[in-house]
Amino acid sequence: MKSGKKLSLSLNPSLKRLPHDMTAQALVSVALRSGDLYHATAVYEVADSVARVALDTILFEGRRDALTLARWEHTPAVVLQALVRLSDASVRQRVQRNLRTSGQTLAELYRTENSDALMTLIAQHRNTPAIVLESMAHESDSDEVLKAVAGNPSASATVLRILRARFPERFDAAIATHAAASPDLLEAVYETGNDYVRAAVVAHPACRRHLLTQAALSGNPLVLRQLAGNPRITAKLLARLARSRTLAVRRAVAGNAVLTPELVIALAGDESVGVRREIALRGDLPLSVLEKFARDDDHWVRQRAARNPATPVALLRELAGEENAEVRRAVARNPACPAELLEQLAHDDNGWVRAAVAYQPKAGAKLMKILATDHAVDVLSGVAANPRAPQALLRQLAQSGEADVRRGVILNPRASDTVLKSLLKDPYYLHRVLLVGNRTLKDEDKWPLLNDPDASVRFTAMRWFAGKVKAG
Amino acid sequence: MKTILVIAEHRRNELRPVTLELISAAQELRQADDKVVVAVIGSKAEAYTSALSVTGVDEIVTVKTASEEFDPDLFEAAVSALVENRKPSVVLMAHSVDTLGYAATLAKKGNFGFATDVFKVEYDGAELVATRAGYNQKVNVEIDFPGRECVLLAIRGSVYKQAEGATSPTVSALDLGSATSRGKNLQFVEAGGADDVDITGVDFIVSIGRGIAEENNVETFRELADTVGATLCCSRPIADAGWLPKSRQVGQSGKVVGACKLYVAMGISGSIQHMAGMKHVPTIVAVNTDPNASIFTIAKYGIVADIFEIEEEMRAQLG
Repeated sequence: MKSGKKLSLSLNPSLKRLPHDMTAQALVSVALRSGDLYHATAVYEVADSVARVALDTILFEGRRDALTLARWEHTPAVVLQALVRLSDASVRQRVQRNLRTSGQTLAELYRTENSDALMTLIAQHRNTPAIVLESMAHESDSDEVLKAVAGNPSASATVLRILRARFPERFDAAIATHAAASPDLLEAVYETGNDYVRAAVVAHPACRRHLLTQAALSGNPLVLRQLAGNPRITAKLLARLARSRTLAVRRAVAGNAVLTPELVIALAGDESVGVRREIALRGDLPLSVLEKFARDDDHWVRQRAARNPATPVALLRELAGEENAEVRRAVARNPACPAELLEQLAHDDNGWVRAAVAYQPKAGAKLMKILATDHAVDVLSGVAANPRAPQALLRQLAQSGEADVRRGVILNPRASDTVLKSLLKDPYYLHRVLLVGNRTLKDEDKWPLLNDPDASVRFTAMRWFAGKVKAG
Repeated sequence: MKTILVIAEHRRNELRPVTLELISAAQELRQADDKVVVAVIGSKAEAYTSALSVTGVDEIVTVKTASEEFDPDLFEAAVSALVENRKPSVVLMAHSVDTLGYAATLAKKGNFGFATDVFKVEYDGAELVATRAGYNQKVNVEIDFPGRECVLLAIRGSVYKQAEGATSPTVSALDLGSATSRGKNLQFVEAGGADDVDITGVDFIVSIGRGIAEENNVETFRELADTVGATLCCSRPIADAGWLPKSRQVGQSGKVVGACKLYVAMGISGSIQHMAGMKHVPTIVAVNTDPNASIFTIAKYGIVADIFEIEEEMRAQLG
């Protein structure tokens, strides 16, 4: 089947050819000539101050455009910074919410805002500088603002310490889970905290060792479960927790990265499938356990054994003949799956199993050719995305009527320039966006996308060229 | 007395569930002595009469065509003949690819009122008012049809309950005469997904995104979804990596989960493309480590946490 109606581009005469000298000025004049909001947005970062004034006339002429840019997820930080200079409360509010707003802009906004609602937006923004959060922690009395400060990943240990000094225990739950919490603060929080707070503290990578020992005496299953998952726990404590009567605790032990080989073997024989499933996920299973798991009653356990690269070929062969399709699929996804089994599974009745072969980087050109005649979209998408697929097949798949298959070709790191060029007028805008970022395609072929009917394509294309100018 | 005409939809010898929803919509709309007529079009049209004999149906009209598969030209001709013959004031059809293949042309040719993706229909006095979403689901738009004798409405699926209860409607046939099609049906090709789940019809979804980090973790969430009775779905990067079938992908490149009532988004940041497929869901629960993730702007409940911790907690709670 041929792909749908291809996009028709009527080129703006000024965009016909890639300029010989790709400079910021050249790109700015393209943006000014086109008058396009998205060209202007994309090129703003590389424009000098004089050029920015000229671009401002495009960017900020209409309030509607300013509101759109203030909320748009791709608007660059420099444009957002320029937007806050407009005295428009709605625009500023959107900038405060925008994930791309820089720390500098947020700091500026902090100096001028005074409503708690807007302050909360700044307090929870991940780019807000620690120094601003520190000032908020010192000065604010708003519970909402302070809660946002305590939960902000950019908050430093100092910020957390200020909060605890000003409001003992009020923000302990947030402090206990915060990555920046220092060992002394965690200890203080542990001493006064409830079981939920203590559970969070013992799971924290900075928790002091003596607290781990102390937590082992807790009767609370949540505390013990979090303790059992901490990779800094001693082997002795882990062995004790492995004998816990609480399933969730044993399961957490089973998932602990520092489990000793003896405990792995012991827990592999656990009566609970939950524990065995967790153990089956490990990459350090000895042969005896893999053999046992390959014949486990539970299909999740067998599935995980089938996916384990250490599982011997003889066992994989056995698992490839399984009735459960997910187990057969797991064999096909195993990085160590031998060619003979891949060939067998490429003819499986189940499309999802064949798709696993199609995505398998070890599958050779012969299998790719067989699978390229399949009718299932997942199988064809797998072939299209597989770096081992021959270019002739990719050329054929680039013409597929299924957008998913064509996207597979676009995402294929080995797709040739010729194949990708045939997709430049793909009807789905997202595909054209993806092609802009492709390093195989030549710039001269991407240049006409500056004239694309879709705004996000035009923006991405101009951003690509601006990025090259910026990188020198 | 007015007639409400319902156009039955069927595929591969099976009545599509939306047909029973349309009958339910007709039931809610009917006034006093109105009549509900269900028309079924196809080469084996009479085979569906028993499935269509549900409470509220007064008459079933079969319209025989040469092919059992949907054909836009033949359906247009058949519905046009039905309107001519039965003079309905309202025609209810499914908001589906089939309907979109002929209804707009039919409405234009017949000068009928027309609205698609309707999720509410009622009379305001004597005026028929249809409600559909506008501005990308942000507002509800009420549409009336002044001066139109007949109105075609394409009704959104999974909004009305399916009609139940047996009844014995009269069954009649309408001859389509010499209607022809410009197309020729060569072969029916099933949409080529590798698994058989239709995520557009499920009501509880656990969905995973980039936050799951690696393929091995997909199984963990599949197991969780199985345990809680949900269907596992995903955002585009997961399907593009081949970690879940394309049929499980939600969003602009995937599917709109029209019938979903509870959507648990695990490690999904919430791109515009993904949200296009699920933002209408009444209860969205989002789990993400980034408090600024866009998904939180549409979530009813937001949890700023590691998805694996939440998954572990859910499993611990479930025992």
